[in-house]
Amino acid sequence: MFSASHSNAVTPNIATQEASSRAPNAPSPEDLLRMFGTLWQIRTFENEVQRLAAAGEVPGFPHLSTGQEAVAVGVCSQLAHEDLLFTSHRGHGHVLAKGSDIESTFAEVLGRESGLCRGRGGSMHLVDAAHGVMGATGVVAGNLSLAAGAAWAAQALGSKNVSVVFFGDGATGAGAFHETINLAVLWKLPILFVCENNGYAEFTSREEHSTVKFVRRFAEPYEMAASTIDGNDLLAVYAEAGKAIAGLRHGDGPYLLECMTYRLAGHFVGDAQRYRSKEELAAIREKDPIERLKRHLLQSGVPESDLDATGERARRAVLDAVERARASRHPDPAGVMEDVYAAPWLNAIDG
Amino acid sequence: MALVAQEIPKVGLVMENGRLVRWLKNVGDPVRQGEPLLELETEKTVIEIAATVTGTLVQALLEVDQEARVGDQVAWVETGEMLIPPAATPPIASRTKTDGEQRITPPAVGSSPDAEPSSDTRIRSSPVARRFSAQHGVDLSSLVGTGPRGRVQLDDVRRAVEAQSAKPGRAFSAAAGPVAQELSSMRRAVARAMTLSNATVPQFMVARAVDWTSVQALRSEIHASRPADSQRLSVNDFLLQAVALALVDFPAMNATFSGDPATPEARILRASGAHIGLVVALEHGLLVPVIHDVDKLGLLELARRRSDCVLRAATGRLKQEELEGGTFSISNLGPRGPDRFTAMINPPQSAILAVGRQRDCVVAINGIIQMRPMSDLSLTVDHRVADGQLASDFLAKIVEILEGTTWHTA
Amino acid sequence: MSETFIEILRRALDEELARDPAVHLLGEDVAAGGAFGVTRGLAQKHGAQRVRNTPISEAAIAGLATGAALCGLRPVLEIMFIDFATLALDTLVNQAAKYRYMSGGQLAVPMVVRTQAGAAGGAAAQHSQSLEAWFVHVPGLIVIAPSSPAEAYGLLKSAIRLGDPVLFIEHKRLYTMKEAIAENAELPAIGKARIARTGEDVTLIAYSAMVTSAHEAAEQLAAEGVSVEIIDLRTLMPLDMNTIAASVSKTHRAIIAHEAVQNGGLGAEIAARIGDKLFDELDAPVLRVACPFAPIPFALELERALLPGAGNIVRAIRAQLH
Repeated sequence: MFSASHSNAVTPNIATQEASSRAPNAPSPEDLLRMFGTLWQIRTFENEVQRLAAAGEVPGFPHLSTGQEAVAVGVCSQLAHEDLLFTSHRGHGHVLAKGSDIESTFAEVLGRESGLCRGRGGSMHLVDAAHGVMGATGVVAGNLSLAAGAAWAAQALGSKNVSVVFFGDGATGAGAFHETINLAVLWKLPILFVCENNGYAEFTSREEHSTVKFVRRFAEPYEMAASTIDGNDLLAVYAEAGKAIAGLRHGDGPYLLECMTYRLAGHFVGDAQRYRSKEELAAIREKDPIERLKRHLLQSGVPESDLDATGERARRAVLDAVERARASRHPDPAGVMEDVYAAPWLNAIDG
Repeated sequence: MALVAQEIPKVGLVMENGRLVRWLKNVGDPVRQGEPLLELETEKTVIEIAATVTGTLVQALLEVDQEARVGDQVAWVETGEMLIPPAATPPIASRTKTDGEQRITPPAVGSSPDAEPSSDTRIRSSPVARRFSAQHGVDLSSLVGTGPRGRVQLDDVRRAVEAQSAKPGRAFSAAAGPVAQELSSMRRAVARAMTLSNATVPQFMVARAVDWTSVQALRSEIHASRPADSQRLSVNDFLLQAVALALVDFPAMNATFSGDPATPEARILRASGAHIGLVVALEHGLLVPVIHDVDKLGLLELARRRSDCVLRAATGRLKQEELEGGTFSISNLGPRGPDRFTAMINPPQSAILAVGRQRDCVVAINGIIQMRPMSDLSLTVDHRVADGQLASDFLAKIVEILEGTTWHTA
Repeated sequence: MSETFIEILRRALDEELARDPAVHLLGEDVAAGGAFGVTRGLAQKHGAQRVRNTPISEAAIAGLATGAALCGLRPVLEIMFIDFATLALDTLVNQAAKYRYMSGGQLAVPMVVRTQAGAAGGAAAQHSQSLEAWFVHVPGLIVIAPSSPAEAYGLLKSAIRLGDPVLFIEHKRLYTMKEAIAENAELPAIGKARIARTGEDVTLIAYSAMVTSAHEAAEQLAAEGVSVEIIDLRTLMPLDMNTIAASVSKTHRAIIAHEAVQNGGLGAEIAARIGDKLFDELDAPVLRVACPFAPIPFALELERALLPGAGNIVRAIRAQLH
């Protein structure tokens, strides 16, 4: 017999009062410096994943978001701790930006017992319920509707929490994308759809996928609020996300935020990037969000030494966390059958 | 479309009757040429009768437990081809009599090249029947299964257990006079064979004593050099090889007499190899399985074959060809047997060696009194095949081998 | 007082909606009463927010239910025909079933997907299937198939309170079945089969509408002196091997009957387990009575010719015994 528990064993802390989100105004210098550091955190994290994957230490297929950090940091800096985040197979940046512990996140990428999911999920399936990271999907577009469900729950339970789901432009080819935005608009769900349009899905460029160049256009038939911005401009992302999220909390209905961006690494680690020209890659570096924010901060008078120090601290923090993660314990095979079901006796080998 | 009668063939030299144990096919089933149709118990063993054509079994003429004689029609198979119409009109249940007629039909068992490997000696039984029989000490092989394809099922074992616990024996009838007991088919077969032997084969006997010392030493040596659970050698294995080697040296002894000695058609048929029978005593009779080509077998291989044959003789699972083809038999009545005895020849063989029990005897060797383990060997011979000189030289050779050291061990 | 299967399901949902504010119903036409009327009146009674209609978007509404379950609701999703579950398979199989495991135990998906299966006269191939075998093949899903109104009442309530994703498979032909439920009956445990009829000669394992056919077959065979023990599985995943083992150890014969196609069906799994764990108890091969390997045809006589029923069960048991 099972106990008649009403809710999840571990439920994210869903606040029922006004969540402490940031107002949609310009970030303070401290905010900016902090966000600059977070950009470096993610960049370093992804470089480390790439380095160790090349050395054979990372199981499976990690997908890197190198170059797309501004979207993660810009959006997540406007989220409250209790807001709910869903991401894709390329989700390391989003998870870190939401506030997850660096060492636990890297340990999960390495498949260790101390990882966020005890090594059961891996790079493409990060979950950190304590920080509102509700999951990542390895199946493209697989969790768009789950994010809508989370928004529905927040609404049904009377909270002001919002749900955010990150996905690439390739996901707009899936039926689930269109079904979900239809539902989100119909039920006026507090969900922010963030599309990182990097012009490539798997290995083919967007033009080969769709005649619709800008994903925000998909919102038009549904009269859903949407906009397209430069995803490599942290300030632009921060501002637009802030507006959108404020609207969600206000009950205005769902929002589709399209962020044009670029991948600096290949589709997945090991992908040889044969499908981009050298000129293309040079232009990309021009758009590097970290370089752009640095230029802006220098122009606004922040001493370079501050920026370097912030960057260095962030890098150091990640490198230390990576070393600790690398040294951590591998999962015990004896526990392989745990957590298939709630009740322990259901985790029998036969089923 | 043609209907072809399936008849009981003659299987083996002495067979005349059989009893239907069970049908292996149902009316309406398709049958292939060579596929077993039914199981028939003969005097000696249980054999399968196979279909002679491919078609459909349209009528079964014999019921379970019914007796059938050689030549009797037992079923009709309808084929798809036009054949010469059969003499008897179907589907009248006819039982053609074949009094005195010796019809040599090819044995059904394993006749056609593409026949399924019949005469499956495996006992079919359900798992729970096996478990139950083990628990209650019932020998599965002694049961007739009522399940599909003769499978022994739980109820079969249960009935056997109940029968076991029922009171044994029957009270003698109160009526005066001797009690007449029906013969089992095996008893009948032995009686017929020995009568035939006595009536048609002129037999004489020669005897020699043999010293087992050499054999015992070799036997111990071989056992010591082998793992504890490997096949043990018995004295019969040594006897078999000795006889086989002697037959190779004396091919005239390895022959059988055929035909009427009063006519020019009489023949002595030399055998192709040393095929030797071993008399196996059973609870209610005896069987003589033949081991073929004994001269080509080493002692250890011979021991395995001998052991397997004896087991299958005891469980009634010998194939027909294992009861045929021998020219010579060995009869060893064991350590509690007589000092010496004269065995009767088993037709159509031409000799039989009777082995008396082993005793410690006082003998003189090179003038010195010694104690040796000895047995009397009595060789009975068909006088139409061999006379005294040949027989005694042959026997001497056997003794020489048994007391010597030239053995093929492997 | 006897209620139909549909009325009893409605009552169970009504009571659960009243008992637990986290319970929400959703699905196509659910607020309007549902395709079979199961949810009729519930939106009016509990409010449009608790009982919601959705567009024809099986993939998205399955995701909606899953996401909501992750975040504190107890959704009961209705998928009108199990044949349409195909559209929701990515969510059910790749997301819902695996969330607890892949998150290392952080999150659970306490949701129920109510659907119905089976042939009922002319619904044809795309509306008549029994697809439970697909779902028992996915670690992380619970699969339940009630055989009667009283069973459905208790099992649905247990499913809603469970804490893991449940596929609750009803049967079209059972919807009009009537039964009275004992008041304050104990809720049946998930994963525990029941002995629907005791017997000595053969263990007949069935579920859903096939249990009715099993009873018919058992009655017929009783007249021939054959005593049939019927096990109503109730839960298909996890399977109650203990009850099966106790029964087969007594009867020494097992036969599994289901409406689904025989090849790759649940009967094959059960037969394999019996062969593995209960080999020494068997007096006969384990048999299955199931649907031949063809889609369900439209014409009624064709459908009848295909579907397994009491007659097939009787013949199979006779063959097994002789």
